[in-house]
Amino acid sequence: MEEKEIMTAERSLEIIRESIEQSRRAMTKQSGRPMIWWGSLVVVFAVLIAYLWTNHGGPVWNVLWFVMTVIGMVGAKMMDRQREPLPKNIIGSVIGKVWSAFGIFCCGLGFITCLAGLGVVSFKALAPTPGYFIPITSIITFALGMASTTTGLILKNRAISICSVIAGIGGFFLALHFAGGEQLLVMAAVAVVGLIIPGIIVNIQTRK
Amino acid sequence: MFQPLDPLLHSELRLAVMSLLLGAEKAEFPFIMEQTGATAGNLSVQLDKLSEAGYITIEKTFKGKRPCTTCRITPAGLKAFEDYVEALKSYLHTDK
Repeated sequence: MEEKEIMTAERSLEIIRESIEQSRRAMTKQSGRPMIWWGSLVVVFAVLIAYLWTNHGGPVWNVLWFVMTVIGMVGAKMMDRQREPLPKNIIGSVIGKVWSAFGIFCCGLGFITCLAGLGVVSFKALAPTPGYFIPITSIITFALGMASTTTGLILKNRAISICSVIAGIGGFFLALHFAGGEQLLVMAAVAVVGLIIPGIIVNIQTRK
Repeated sequence: MFQPLDPLLHSELRLAVMSLLLGAEKAEFPFIMEQTGATAGNLSVQLDKLSEAGYITIEKTFKGKRPCTTCRITPAGLKAFEDYVEALKSYLHTDK
């Protein structure tokens, strides 16, 4: 881009629009890999925990979700180091905060449920109505769908938004139909539809 | 009535740089170069002009052993950009 002193007002606006759009595109380009990474981790851990839950000792294996979070964060950090430097911008910052909020809510909910499972907190304190259970998989699935849809809307990426809405709403109701380890298979399916597929689509779109 | 346009911003490269920095906390020199398609020399000159005007700050550090130049927009730069866009509107309204 060589310097030109004579510009029309339209050209000036076009430059501003192009620059902002370029920044957003650069952000979208780098969002595919983390989605595939986190989606794959969720699939692997959901299947593993479902198996262990059903065959070896019950829901205590849900504690592995915390292990997945640590592995995920270490892997994401390594990916950050490998990729080309991208400026910290408002778009990236907002998306980061959306996923941080998702992480805080899920870890908080998971932690409290774990405490109840270990007997530190009584189940009665969490769900006072006898026979009522907290549909934690449905709630987390819904939250994942919302966070992912918000990401798609911010990036103006239809593939991410549509897949996430299907995964979030579909997964919410589907998980209600299953109990025990089986509902984790719904979580795995949600990760495929809501994270892995849109991640692959984004990668293909940005490679063009 | 046309409002005067800031001559410092009324240049393709400087305007593109300011627009890139507008939404960013900070941006490294190679990123700006890639996004604007400018040559290193030309970009360096334009960044110095913006810096001299107080519109951006340029920080020169090291990433390991490699030099790293980071730019960020200042409040004065943000104000100048807002004024520039405001002035542009007066041209757009009478252009057609």
